[in-house]
Amino acid sequence: MPNKRKRKEATAAYLCLIPSIIGLIFITYLPLLSVFALSFFNWGSGAPDPKFIGLDNYVRLFTTDPYFLDSLRVTVVFAVLTVIGSMIYSLFIAMLLNRKIPARGFLRAVFYLPYVLPSMAVYIGWSWLYEANFGLFNYFLSLLGAEKMKFIADGRLVVPSLALIGVWLSGNLIVIFLAGLQNVPRVYHEAALIDGANSFQRFRHVTIPCMTPIIFYNLLMALINNMQIVTPALALTNGGPGNESRFITYLMYQSAFINNHLGYGSSVSTVFFVIIAIFTVILFLTSRNWVFYEGDGK
Amino acid sequence: MMKRVLFGLLLCAMLVPGLMAATNEKVLITYSFWGTPDEAKVVQAQADKFNASQSRISVEVMAIPHDSYVTKLNTMATAKTLPDCGIMSEAGVLQFASNGLLADVSKMYGAKDSKPLDSLTFKYKGAPIAYSTANEILLLYYNKKMFDKAGVAYPPADAAKAWNWDQFVATAKLLTLDKNGNNAASPKFDAKNIVQYGAMVENLTWQLEVWALSNGSGFYSKDGSKVTINDPAAIDAIQKIADLNLVHHVAPLSTGMTDDAMQRSIIAGTCAMGTGGQWNIGTCLASARDQGIVDYGVAVLPFMKEKVTINTGGPNVVFSQSKHPAEAMEWVKWYAQEENSWGLIESGIWMPVLKKWYTDDKLTQKWAGNHNFPPYAQYKSAVVDYAMKYAKPASWYYVNNTNDFNTLLGSLLGEVWTGNKTAKDVITKGYASLVAACKGSN
Amino acid sequence: MRESKTGDRLATLILAALAALVMLPIWWMFRSSLMTNAELFAYPPPLAPSVWRFGNYRATLENFPFWIYFRNTMTIIIPSVVGGTLTATLAGYAFARLRFPGKDILFMLCIGSMLLPTMVTLIPLYIAWSRGLGLTDSYWPLILPFFCGGGAFNIFLIRQFIRTIPRELDEAAMIDGAGPFRILASIIVPSIKSAMIVVALLLFIGLWNDLLQQMIYINSGKNFTIALGLSQFKGSLQSDWSKIMCATCMSFVPGVVFYLVGQRYFVEGIVMTGLKS
Repeated sequence: MPNKRKRKEATAAYLCLIPSIIGLIFITYLPLLSVFALSFFNWGSGAPDPKFIGLDNYVRLFTTDPYFLDSLRVTVVFAVLTVIGSMIYSLFIAMLLNRKIPARGFLRAVFYLPYVLPSMAVYIGWSWLYEANFGLFNYFLSLLGAEKMKFIADGRLVVPSLALIGVWLSGNLIVIFLAGLQNVPRVYHEAALIDGANSFQRFRHVTIPCMTPIIFYNLLMALINNMQIVTPALALTNGGPGNESRFITYLMYQSAFINNHLGYGSSVSTVFFVIIAIFTVILFLTSRNWVFYEGDGK
Repeated sequence: MMKRVLFGLLLCAMLVPGLMAATNEKVLITYSFWGTPDEAKVVQAQADKFNASQSRISVEVMAIPHDSYVTKLNTMATAKTLPDCGIMSEAGVLQFASNGLLADVSKMYGAKDSKPLDSLTFKYKGAPIAYSTANEILLLYYNKKMFDKAGVAYPPADAAKAWNWDQFVATAKLLTLDKNGNNAASPKFDAKNIVQYGAMVENLTWQLEVWALSNGSGFYSKDGSKVTINDPAAIDAIQKIADLNLVHHVAPLSTGMTDDAMQRSIIAGTCAMGTGGQWNIGTCLASARDQGIVDYGVAVLPFMKEKVTINTGGPNVVFSQSKHPAEAMEWVKWYAQEENSWGLIESGIWMPVLKKWYTDDKLTQKWAGNHNFPPYAQYKSAVVDYAMKYAKPASWYYVNNTNDFNTLLGSLLGEVWTGNKTAKDVITKGYASLVAACKGSN
Repeated sequence: MRESKTGDRLATLILAALAALVMLPIWWMFRSSLMTNAELFAYPPPLAPSVWRFGNYRATLENFPFWIYFRNTMTIIIPSVVGGTLTATLAGYAFARLRFPGKDILFMLCIGSMLLPTMVTLIPLYIAWSRGLGLTDSYWPLILPFFCGGGAFNIFLIRQFIRTIPRELDEAAMIDGAGPFRILASIIVPSIKSAMIVVALLLFIGLWNDLLQQMIYINSGKNFTIALGLSQFKGSLQSDWSKIMCATCMSFVPGVVFYLVGQRYFVEGIVMTGLKS
């Protein structure tokens, strides 16, 4: 009887997992192997067969490629700026929203709103605010008597400008933080109050430690999402000025689909994968030191 | 359950068009072109005329956005799902030809036919491989009201009287105003609070080539075999464009990324002069004038050392992957006749390709003598004659991999427009990469 | 906690100010959509239109086939969201509740794929879909992957959520003779509804913003999604900015409606989703 039940259970489990197993094989691991394999070939449309060229693509990437190193740099800078910015912004907003305030549901909706807008539309709209000659922000600057800024048209400002949009878009982090704050047990705060802790001390020693799992989760998701940024380059900048918004995913798109070098694009993808993996592993390893799970005894 | 039913319905809905196509007995030809679905309707209407004119071929139009056109064709070529024929983006013609993706069109024009202008023939290894479907040249447009207000004479429509670069800059200064109403030639001019610019020179990478030519040089040697953009004259020409904004403060910052400059400049009244393609007459200027938003004129480009403009125009091609090349060719040839794309010509979007339209005044009248155009004499001089006598083909008529090259050049020049680097620095430093890009190795 | 009253007031003030800033770009797009092009390019820029030209929207619909794009977008999104949510629930259930050989390895592989950005495998997948299966200008490459588990992260989310449901409930049902699927349908699904809605939302947003894959797989204008339609509308030579802004504002509506309908569940779902362990 128990054996029969076990078998029934296992059969049910496999049935449940069929779609996911197909997915893991055909849209995850097999393509991952293929992208790695393709990166050793030279292949574009028209050229009928891929040609094996060993490590050539990688050598070119790291030596003569006029885009790649810039591309790595701007992607990492963008991701770091956006992640830090949106973590601080959304934690701050969430803490304010967690107080007794009027129209809380409405305000929460306002901060969440940007997240549900199609990003293509968002970038088109923001391009008007950032316009270098007669845009709204430049109008504000001129009211303040400051010099005009070129925002997304200036190589030095394009990444911070796009990062600001990224922060603006991070409404989902606010809701998740808010959920976490509401889960912080009240007794902890009350105990700290009795001990005479001021609000900053309570934030530092009660709120933050209770929130670490959520901070970790948000950090991880924000990092992986922002490393893959591509829409602003597609919608607005085409990677410019210079290479300052030629994010790595855009570079991959450019090599593989615009300029039609599928093998070369694959080598970009492979390097990108390794970099994301390194970032994630580092994050996971360090997390042991600062993420506290309830009942962990720490 | 409801969801499953819904999904099933969705699946059926998606299958229906496929089934319908299968029951069609005519040879179905897909023709791709760049444009909005709106423009697709116009082209499909033409195709329907062709479909009605005979009983064997049925042409269906596929509209692909202009920005991603080459990309799309590339990906379709990889997937082996190219349409039968289509308009081809200039930047991809030679690359496609060198990859054997284009069918032979050499027999399209018989010995007795009036041929397209020679400058409109794409050549790969010296042999013609495609003919532009339309002609386009670069011009100088100007906003009349802004000139009148400043009391400055209009730019010349006659190439013989074309402004040299210094005259152009000097005029632009008179038309650049700060918020106190001082122009850029005045000592009291406040460059930090400009409210109106004198000139906008379009700096899309492919259009910049005209200035390199104008300065007596070019992006490539005459036969396209060598990259000469590092030539001091070519570099100087590009720097001169950047300096309009950086040094003279007579032009807005433009980073060569958008295609709506005419809207933002002449029509919006933010710039008094602007360079752009002839198509702007049909795509935005005519309707803006009808609505009373702008009164504009056309003029020849200013020049640095040589009077020159560049011409371009996407060719209609038959793709070698097509299963029905003969039928596709028949349609392409039919469509290439001016009377069959007349709507685009008389509205000012396309210029005709056959020589007779430029040399026979009666035909020129027929083409440009309607209310969509600027005054006839002006247009005849600044566009028709200019195109005949001063236009050189853009480099993609004879140089391969211009797509890679232009992407890279655009990337290199990004920092030049903002003044962070000079044209000399970036081009000298990027020259090896530019040469590699031109060979298609990146 | 007497002092916190002033704190609350201060918080309200700061929030109101920040909310105004957050809304500014959206207001800017909206006010631009109601202007003439001349007004739009005027400098200094007016903060509100002189006349509220709602007629711009009607004019825009003549050039921007919003309803076709909307239908196309939903043709992709609805099956994908449904498929993704269902298959993620199935897999999450198997990992959370059922015992079977190979569970640990499968779970490891599944979690491992979370670290793999979708963009990395774009090229081979593109080749497989287009050259291998001949599916260009088709929605299948965009939809079908969602019937394959809906992403490791969502499976993980569902699994965590199911683990918070007391096992006693399943066991009671099992004693009554219910099989695994009966348990799933009658006990698990009703109690993880909000988590499933969170997953649906995440899938919706992901699809909504995935311009790149749409660009790659969809060719012809008649098959365009809202995002592609917008990018084409912007790029078309006659770019008419007040109309572009109208189109932009129209494209905001579906997401906002989706949020308003589901917001109660999102918040509940996120609060309850055991993000902790």
